[in-house]
Amino acid sequence: MSGDFKFDTLSLHAGHVPDDRHGSRAVPIHQTTSYVFQNTEHAAALYNMELGGHLYTRISNPTVAVLEQRIAALEDGVAATATASGMAALATAVMVLCSQGDHIVSSSRMYGANINLLENTLPRFGIETSFVDPNDLDAIKAAIRPETKLIFGEVIGNPGLDIMDVEAVGKIAAAAGIPLMLDCTFNTPWLLKPFHLGANIIIHSLTKWIGGHGVAIGGAVVDGGNFDWGQNDKFPTIAGPHYAMESINFYEEFGPAAFTAKFRAEGMYNFGPSLSPTNAFHILQGMETLPLRMQRHMDNTAKMLAFLQEHDAVAWVRHPTLPDHPGHALAQKMMPRGAGSIIVFGLKGGRDAGRAFIESVELASHLANVGDAKTLVIHPASTTHSHISAEAMIEGGLSDDMIRLSVGLEDFDDLKADFEQAFKAAGKAAKA
Amino acid sequence: MKHQLDEMPVHIATGGRPFDPTKTVVLFLHGSGQNHLTWVLQSRYFAYRDYAVLTPDFPGHGLSGGDPLPSIEAMADWVIALMDSLDVKTAVLVGHSQGCLVALDAAARYPDRVSHLGLIAGALAIPVNAQLLSLADHALAKAIGVMVSWGHGPMAHMHDNTQPGHSFIGYGNRLMDMNRADALRTDLGACNDYKAGPENAAKISQPALCILAGADRMTPVKFGQQMAASLANSRCEILPGAGHMLPAERPAEINAALRRFLPA
Repeated sequence: MSGDFKFDTLSLHAGHVPDDRHGSRAVPIHQTTSYVFQNTEHAAALYNMELGGHLYTRISNPTVAVLEQRIAALEDGVAATATASGMAALATAVMVLCSQGDHIVSSSRMYGANINLLENTLPRFGIETSFVDPNDLDAIKAAIRPETKLIFGEVIGNPGLDIMDVEAVGKIAAAAGIPLMLDCTFNTPWLLKPFHLGANIIIHSLTKWIGGHGVAIGGAVVDGGNFDWGQNDKFPTIAGPHYAMESINFYEEFGPAAFTAKFRAEGMYNFGPSLSPTNAFHILQGMETLPLRMQRHMDNTAKMLAFLQEHDAVAWVRHPTLPDHPGHALAQKMMPRGAGSIIVFGLKGGRDAGRAFIESVELASHLANVGDAKTLVIHPASTTHSHISAEAMIEGGLSDDMIRLSVGLEDFDDLKADFEQAFKAAGKAAKA
Repeated sequence: MKHQLDEMPVHIATGGRPFDPTKTVVLFLHGSGQNHLTWVLQSRYFAYRDYAVLTPDFPGHGLSGGDPLPSIEAMADWVIALMDSLDVKTAVLVGHSQGCLVALDAAARYPDRVSHLGLIAGALAIPVNAQLLSLADHALAKAIGVMVSWGHGPMAHMHDNTQPGHSFIGYGNRLMDMNRADALRTDLGACNDYKAGPENAAKISQPALCILAGADRMTPVKFGQQMAASLANSRCEILPGAGHMLPAERPAEINAALRRFLPA
């Protein structure tokens, strides 16, 4: 049969058809470094990008390719490339796009490692970033310079939960002739497919909701194929002669998949941020249930928000589905199914009460991940965002008492009971 | 390769190698609403096997300027004019879908200019569904969506791709988005209006290879078989399970079949 398969079907099947020889229904783990060439001509053709196929697992792998094709399908992209982590995806994407002297305009309200990479590491290689409030469209526009090559942000900011107006920022990027690249880890394609709003490149940490089980680290870069790399002279290594393959011009050869072709030929080849086939297999198992899990995440998040808002121990709660969130209307419009399963909140009693709460939860786990099937809590100011400056913390909307809660799939009554006992412990700590 | 024809810019993919007219010239002709990227896995492959590859974007398509051409005959004339402008006396014409009609028309009317025909997912006539014509007029994105859906076979709809990480459906949509807004409607109209296929096929004596897609929903395989039967010197190969977008879906088989067929 043939048809336009829907999201739930693609989550289970995209990228894989059982092979004729073995008929393995599950995606096989191709745990191999290399692939036997048919002959010398075949080997040369693979290296020269004349054929599709695999030549070395640093560049591509059949199991990893199933994962990549499944993500590309779910995002309505032209192609995806998987990487060893979300940070590997971001770092490699920037290195593939930018050169010394280039500039990036980025949201100031993002995951700490994203900020660190742009603020502290990339300047050592001559790539500067201006950080702006992602909700201030005029500031984004004003920050663009002739050497700007990219606008970057998170659809749902981590951990402040700011919502980026993807359509509006996409228009700014398009008018400037530069791509909009978004970290979509918190929204997943189940909540939002940003290519339809004008985003051009998507970064995922697959470790989070897409994997969902917390057993494998992975990332991906998805190519929307909707950016014209030849419209100006800003991207000479994509739309001009490249050093490799007799001065290949990726734009002319591969059209909408030019960025992916360069990412594969240069990013994977030279930087080697490859995802292991076994991790790809694990992440694929998670992807199969992504739609089911996301619905449950949204249901439990709604219940948790109601619980926290009414609780005497809670000083404040922030989530884009709450009417007092500044991005509420935008979130409703962009993500009608929900705005993710991260909640941030503070306790009466401030940082000490928060610390006691985190140390008292028993069902919820205190750890550095989000998007797991299990409920997770952390104190960002002392952990995930501890490497960024106090100024950047304030600019990023982070307060010292903030607790980041990643709502899992447990029976909500059990979560509620766990939080009740932890709130009591926090109350005692605050009084002591 | 950037080229000029009738003062219009023409983009011609040469497979990453400089064009050398002293070699056997293979001209790849794209289908309705497509462009040179239909042949992304053929242009480079044959250019690196010592053929002089010319894969043009027809006017109004891809990276070429100008207005889309209104008829198959005009497209065939344009191909011959393009060959003239590049000092190409004879060429192998390899067409996909609408490109097959163009190749047939050129081979019948300019027999000295066409040495061989490669006809992929083609037919002698390609009547177009009235609803699709209307969509192409009034709702281009929907028309593109329908064509990409109909144009791909079961494996492609399952995103099973020899190109690691690539989506046939996503790529197919974006490729068609690259063209001028009126390109698809003009192409479909040209296909729908073209009635000279049977008459022209009877005039053709050049060797022809017809490669057909077993699960083709746009030019069903029986029409491709009729085309093959109408050509005096033809051979027909059918790839079971493949959809209409054969050059992308089955590049290895297409390339191998063409390579067996093409003159050295």
